[in-house]
Amino acid sequence: MSLKTPSAAPDVAAGPPERGTRTWTPGRLLHVPHGGLVLVLVLVAVFTAVQADSFTTSQNLLNVLRQISVTAVIAAGLTLLMTAGGMDFSMGGNAAVTLCVAAQLLHDGCGTLPVVIVSLLLATLIGLVNGLVVTYTRVAPFVATLASAMLLDGVALLVLDGMSVTIGDRMTGLGNDEVLGVPCLTVVALLVLAGTGLTMRFTTFGRDAFAMGGNEHVARLSGIDVNRRKLALYALAGVLAGLAGLMLLSRLGAAAPNTAGLQTQLTAVAAVVIGGTSLAGGHGTVIGTVFGVVLLGVVANALNLLQVNSNYQLVVTGGVLLVAAVVNEFQRRSAPGH
Amino acid sequence: MSALTDPDTEGSTTVTSGAPAGGSAVVRVRGVTKSFGRAAALKGVDLDLHPGEIHALMGMNGAGKSTLVQVVCGVHQPDGGTVEMGGRQYSGLTVRRARRLGISSVPQRRELAMGLTVAENIMLGDLPARGGAVHWKAVRSQARAALSGLGIDIDVDRIAGTLTVAEQTMVEVAREVRRGGRVLVLDEPTACLSARDAGRVRDLVRTLRDEGVAVVYISHYIDEVMAVADRITVLRDGAVVRSAPAAEMDPASLVRAMVGRDVVSRRPERPAPKDEHGLVVRGLSQGRAIRDFTVEVRKGEIVAVLGPAGDAQSRLFDLLSGRQRPDTGEICVDGRPVPSGRVKASLASGLRCVTGDRRTLGLVQGMTVDENLMLAGDRFARRRLHRRSRLARRAAPVRDTYGVVALTGNPPVGSLSGGNQQKVLLGKWLETEPVACFLEDPTNGVDVAAMADIHTLVDDLAARGVAVLLASSSAEEVMRLADRVVVVSAGRTVAEHDITAITRDELVATALGGQPQ
Repeated sequence: MSLKTPSAAPDVAAGPPERGTRTWTPGRLLHVPHGGLVLVLVLVAVFTAVQADSFTTSQNLLNVLRQISVTAVIAAGLTLLMTAGGMDFSMGGNAAVTLCVAAQLLHDGCGTLPVVIVSLLLATLIGLVNGLVVTYTRVAPFVATLASAMLLDGVALLVLDGMSVTIGDRMTGLGNDEVLGVPCLTVVALLVLAGTGLTMRFTTFGRDAFAMGGNEHVARLSGIDVNRRKLALYALAGVLAGLAGLMLLSRLGAAAPNTAGLQTQLTAVAAVVIGGTSLAGGHGTVIGTVFGVVLLGVVANALNLLQVNSNYQLVVTGGVLLVAAVVNEFQRRSAPGH
Repeated sequence: MSALTDPDTEGSTTVTSGAPAGGSAVVRVRGVTKSFGRAAALKGVDLDLHPGEIHALMGMNGAGKSTLVQVVCGVHQPDGGTVEMGGRQYSGLTVRRARRLGISSVPQRRELAMGLTVAENIMLGDLPARGGAVHWKAVRSQARAALSGLGIDIDVDRIAGTLTVAEQTMVEVAREVRRGGRVLVLDEPTACLSARDAGRVRDLVRTLRDEGVAVVYISHYIDEVMAVADRITVLRDGAVVRSAPAAEMDPASLVRAMVGRDVVSRRPERPAPKDEHGLVVRGLSQGRAIRDFTVEVRKGEIVAVLGPAGDAQSRLFDLLSGRQRPDTGEICVDGRPVPSGRVKASLASGLRCVTGDRRTLGLVQGMTVDENLMLAGDRFARRRLHRRSRLARRAAPVRDTYGVVALTGNPPVGSLSGGNQQKVLLGKWLETEPVACFLEDPTNGVDVAAMADIHTLVDDLAARGVAVLLASSSAEEVMRLADRVVVVSAGRTVAEHDITAITRDELVATALGGQPQ
């Protein structure tokens, strides 16, 4: 159950079997996990489909899937980290650095596999440094990773030195091929999401994250090695950020200044928060995050198709985030979040 | 079963003796009912509050005390019945209206703005201003007047966060009285206080009464209620079982009324302790809080450390669990020294420390009962996978043994009553094969029946051959549980006795410097 496909119909989600006999009211939707979110998603999708014929074409839908896959990978790592009471604003910056470094290396003629390995190691290392700072200096994760986010965005610019670096057709397989009609990027994202969801639900590692996010003192006293867990979680966030960077590179085929970075990160944070994961830790679901990512992707796509002035994109995204956060707050009172 | 033959509670027809004239009640609650979902919290409760009277509300956890008080304060709207005050009948109050009518409450958990001064806290929401700017001189002088009016001696320039819990309570009371509180609800004002501080709070309550305030006093401590209250109302399962002047009640009948049966919590015969030492603490010191503390606990023995709340015994948890490193001192479990200052080392030695602060150090409130129960055990067993069904199967016997009762399957532990949470906490630690156990105030804030259950659990623990060190600020509990008692005061050990060689009164006198009651 850790992973429902984004297309899950709302009425399926709205009717748990034991309540099947009761009458359905909009108010009840609040008691269904992610009910409000699914409702908004469906409304947006239906509205767009009616207004713009091109929305439902497979070409467009595949495009949406490709676009949200990168955010989804970052959001998956972030969901686990935030559930454990952590925060990482630098995943977008980490992705940008990974993307630029990998592009430079590929451009210089290194083999694809070594480059992938080196970039992922680099990304892990960056995550680990974040983790070390947060764990041992006790600087608030928010502050520490915001600092490293700015720092990494700058480093990415330095690596490119103002140029665009193309990588030719290397890695296009990952970026543009499809498996059974699903883009490779989406397959990777789904695997990551599924892995995260299963980890959170079925492993002690995942439950440790809930315990640490719920009450770090109790977790420590219960024999959980909190410091080591934190380092592992930040390193995991790092490696997923690196993966996201590589996925983006394979999709774009080139690294340009200001690709990924803080903007991507904020979208991922928004998606996770929309999905109902608590900023304070202790609550979080990957399914919620999936819905959040899809909702933001669909909204962005809809604004494109409806030819809304692109300046409105951020306004609308912000509005969606606000509404979702308010709905989540109402919902939190009625149900435990995991 | 004398409790069941109590006078009928049909209200106005029976104005019982001893109370001030029946017509003078400032608040009259009549037939109030309130349900949450299917659970009835109040079933037709009547309550009269008179000015200049301390009215104690007693009852076990879940008896409906809090709900009743919240109805009076306007937090909850009753499903039926009325609340009459100021000559008008209300079928439901809002917090705002209740406040305007002079009803205020001091909740169990202190609600001061911890970063502000005492003066600001007292005047909050009503800061005297001159031309749009705060008139600080007036703030201080008015706050000082509010405090001294109640005979409280606290410097108004102190930061609220630096006050002791008792002082915070007093500041809150002063604030409410200054705002014109005519009915003041105090929810367990002396919980977690040392005897001296509790005495100060009780003196304050008496002052309030003499000023003509109607005080509602909620407490678990029977002795305290008998000493301070003018009238006692006992609730059980959401109904009033007894309401009478305190002079007509005695402790035994109070307990019967609360529980519905006699609580038997007497010392049972335990097997004699073994000879080898399970837990040895030598020369433990940390700053001025705990100095040169030494204790030896044999396997199967219960040794209590008794002292005023907040004294040396309250530091033991941090030091023994490895959260903090002592300045000097040595801890041995089962004959082997335990490296200090490391949680892991402490756990690995077989020492289990059960905190008295279950909210912040004991349980993950948002996690389910089962997961909390197995939180430590599963980590010791190095389980990597987590399956809800298997977890439930492992947790079921523990729930059973420790008598954890949840209304619905497996709710978040934070939704349980205090007594049940405490049992979860004990179950979490005591089922992990402890060699030695440190228990800090294991019956803090639990009702009488749960207390008896927990005492039995601790007896069983010792009977299993575990060395039990018990930190407590309750002489009753020490007399009930311990084989030996170490009395601490101002960070130092002042006496050590076999429990058979000392009476409760002598113990209280040693520990609390001859406190009244």
